[in-house]
Parts: sequence; structure tokens; C-alpha cells
Amino acid sequence: MTLLADSRDPLNWTVLVPVLAGGFAVWYLLPTARKRPWVFGALAGLIALAGLVAFFVRGLGQQIPETVEAGLFFGFAGLAIVFGILMITVRNPARSALSFAVVVLSTCGLFLLLAAPFLTAATVIIYAGAIIVTFLFVIMLSQQEGPSNANLRSREPGLATAAGFILLATFLVGLQRVYDWRSVDTAIEHASALARADQIPQEYLSPRPQADLENFNSGPPPPLTPRAEAFLAEMRAALDRVKVAVPRREGDRRVMEHRSVQDVEHAINSLAALGFRQHDAEDIQTSSQTIADGLRQLKGLRDGTAAFDDLTVSEHGVVKPVDGEPRRLPAANVSAVGRTLFTDHLLAVELAGTLLLVATVGAIAIAGGRRERQA
Amino acid sequence: MISLPHYLAVGAILFSLGLIGFLSRRNLIVMFLSAEMMLQGVALNFVAFSRHHGNLHGQVFTLFVIAVAACEAGIALALFLTLYRRKRSLDVSLWQDLREPGLDPTVDTEPLPAVPREEPLPRLPPAGVEPTKEERQYV
Repeated sequence: MTLLADSRDPLNWTVLVPVLAGGFAVWYLLPTARKRPWVFGALAGLIALAGLVAFFVRGLGQQIPETVEAGLFFGFAGLAIVFGILMITVRNPARSALSFAVVVLSTCGLFLLLAAPFLTAATVIIYAGAIIVTFLFVIMLSQQEGPSNANLRSREPGLATAAGFILLATFLVGLQRVYDWRSVDTAIEHASALARADQIPQEYLSPRPQADLENFNSGPPPPLTPRAEAFLAEMRAALDRVKVAVPRREGDRRVMEHRSVQDVEHAINSLAALGFRQHDAEDIQTSSQTIADGLRQLKGLRDGTAAFDDLTVSEHGVVKPVDGEPRRLPAANVSAVGRTLFTDHLLAVELAGTLLLVATVGAIAIAGGRRERQA
Repeated sequence: MISLPHYLAVGAILFSLGLIGFLSRRNLIVMFLSAEMMLQGVALNFVAFSRHHGNLHGQVFTLFVIAVAACEAGIALALFLTLYRRKRSLDVSLWQDLREPGLDPTVDTEPLPAVPREEPLPRLPPAGVEPTKEERQYV
């Protein structure tokens, strides 16, 4: 079983190492009645972090630029992950609350890298307030003498860790499958190489029997060579990968595939039906060109470099390109957020306000009782 | 520019860690913080997609997530206060009477580590008064 379509190592170490080592570290460090030495958990956690760096650098099939932004990203992401683990594993709830504050601040740093300054400020203000309140609660409520069941025991740590890390592995493999385009890129390269070649390479062409030349050229297609079979299989796999996210149109009767998907499918099928014969060289090259163009177009739709022709997004939320540089959020983030909030999402704003009001009333109703004071 | 899947991966990790914390910790406040961490992971996803698509709907959605999280915090802390008043503890397993019928209760078999009790601080006898029998040992 291959854990990843695009990987050359079938076990997919860049996912397996962080998930297994991280799962062990979290399981080991979760509070238990018998205290464990923390060194082994920390070692496993370090291995998991190293594996995670490998996943980020190699496993996703994306280039990481050597810029300050990459450094900041790894710093903030590392802080968030390390303190996230600390938050769920330390025994003292006050320290958990402080670790969560660090997680929130690191996430705010990531928001800033994603060009969302208003959200950064809002999160710092709101969560800082919320954390301080939580922290006060912790100090107020958990001033218990000695060890307590609440802090020194876990419920089913093994099962919980397994559930969490299986979910995480699914996420990571899913990200790889969606965003690792290396196999599609290779397929496009092969198709366009075949289309541009002066002469179709011999290994693609079905061997011509010496005896009946006439019958070979006009008769039923000959069996494909292994190279040609592999080529077609590669194209089909690439098409299967790129067509997943392309929207289908409602035709008159049935759901229709996107035009490029239809084109590529047609080209592949005609190649398979024709067979690779020397005198069809022109057709073969035209079909290959169609396949390469179609795959490139679909890939562009997928990663956002080509535009959908019928995407319905309101004008207010769309940010105009600045200085001809496409897809950069502007510095005027706050005003744009406000414009979107009060044009496209006005009803949601009203609903959120109502929700806050109801929550306030509810909190007062739940906690407001003073009858226990006499008890 | 760091691309979209890296941010999505960080969001996924935060979400999974929060899930583990919520499932396994027994302190109500830590469970609440874990749920908030799951929300952080989701918010990161929204903002990353917002950047990726070049529009602001993701950021607006995150604002609503924050609003709902604030409501949740208010209700949850009020609820914890009430629960704490009843049982004088934040241990969620004390409320396992609320579980489904037919499930076995969770019983903690392993004893908690014994913490040595600290010696009480000596109380010095006031000056000018004859020490009592207990106080005589410090003299």
C-alpha cells in the first residue's frame, strides 16, 4: 500500500515519523498517577519536531523560499506547536493557561504573516482578556491542597492520543495529496515533450510486423508498448488528481465535467484507441499537446493562477491587485474587512450580536445564584 | 512566500492537539482551553484560505469564530463555577453519573502519589509567659 501517490518512498516517512514520535511523546507526557521521567517524552517530541520540519520542507512538494518570512513562519509555528503540547500535558492548570496564551500569541504572529493585522489585534485583545479571566478562575478555583484527580490523571490517554494522531495523519496525507503537484508536473512535462519532439521516440511506437504492412496501418490498433501503456496510465492518474476540485456544471440533463476535463479525457481515449503507429505521428502529437494544455489549465484552476470563468464572489470582498501584483492583500486591511462585514455579512453580524446578548444573559442566569452562600 | 498547505498543516496540528487535550484531560478548565485551541487551528485555516483566494471572507468568518468563542467562554466559565460549587472540585469524572445507561463507571485504581506533609511551622511561646508543655520542646 502506498501511503501517498506522489512519494518515492512507499512508507511516507515525512508523515510517519512526526505522527508516531509525536503520538508517543504526547501519550507519555500526559498526566498519570505514577510519575514518569519526562526525558523520554521530550526526546520523542524532538524527533517528532525534526520529522515535522522534514514534512514542511520536503513532504509537501512546495518550495520554501529563503526569506525572513520563512524564518518567522517556522518560529511562530514551532512556538505554537511546542506550547500546544505543553498546554495539554502539564499538570498545573495555571501553567496550561499560560501555555495557551503563548499558543494564541504565536497564532497571531501567523495571522500577521497572512496579512491580517486587524484580526491579529482583535485576537490579542479578546483572547488576552479571556485568558486573564480564565487564569483568575484557575487561581480562584483550584487552590486545592495536595494532589488531585483532576490534574494528575487522564481519561484514556492511549485512546485519546491514538484518535488525535490518526486524525492528524489523515490531515497531513490529505494535504500532501492535494498540494503535492510533482506527479502532475512530471506528467505535463512528459506530454509536452512528446508533443514537441521532432520524432516520436521508438519506445512508444508499436512494432511494425514485416509481413502485412497495409493491414497494420489501416486495421485494428496494435497492442501498446509498455512505455505507451505507462504514458497513458500516467496521464489518467494526473487527470484523476486535477479534476477532483474542478466544479462541474449542471447541463440540461446531467452533471457535465469541465470542458478541459472532457478535452483531456477525449485525447487520452483517442490515443488509446488509435494505438501508437508511426503514420499517426501527427495525431499523437496533437493529442499530447491537448493533454498537456488541459492538465496545465486544470492545475492552474486548482492552485489559483487561472481564474474560474463563473466564480461568484461579491465585489466587496475581492481585493484589487496592488501595483499589478496579483493576489496581495492590501495594507488597507481594516477598511476592507469593515466593508465586507457590513455589506456581505450584515445578517451574520446581527446574529452574532444577538448570540452575545443571549450568552451574557445565560451566563448571569447560570452563575448568578447566591443561595449557596448560607450553606 | 510560504504557501497555503504549510499554514493548513499548522492548523491541523493545533486542532489535533486540542482534540487530544479535550478527550483526555480531566480538569474542566484545561478541557475548555483545549476546545479554544481547536478553534485557533480552524481560525488559522480560514485566514490562510482568505490570503490564498485574495478576498476577505475568511477573515470575516474568523471574526465570527472569535465572537462565538467569547460566548462559549462566558457560558462555560459560569457553568464551571456552578459545578465547582456543588462538588468542590473541577474533576469532570465526578459528574460521570450523567453517562449513558449501561456503561461501566470509570474507577481510579492506581493511588495518587503521596505528598509528604510539611512539618508545621514552630510556634514560639510569647515572651514573659511560662511556656506550655508543647511549647517547651522549642525552648
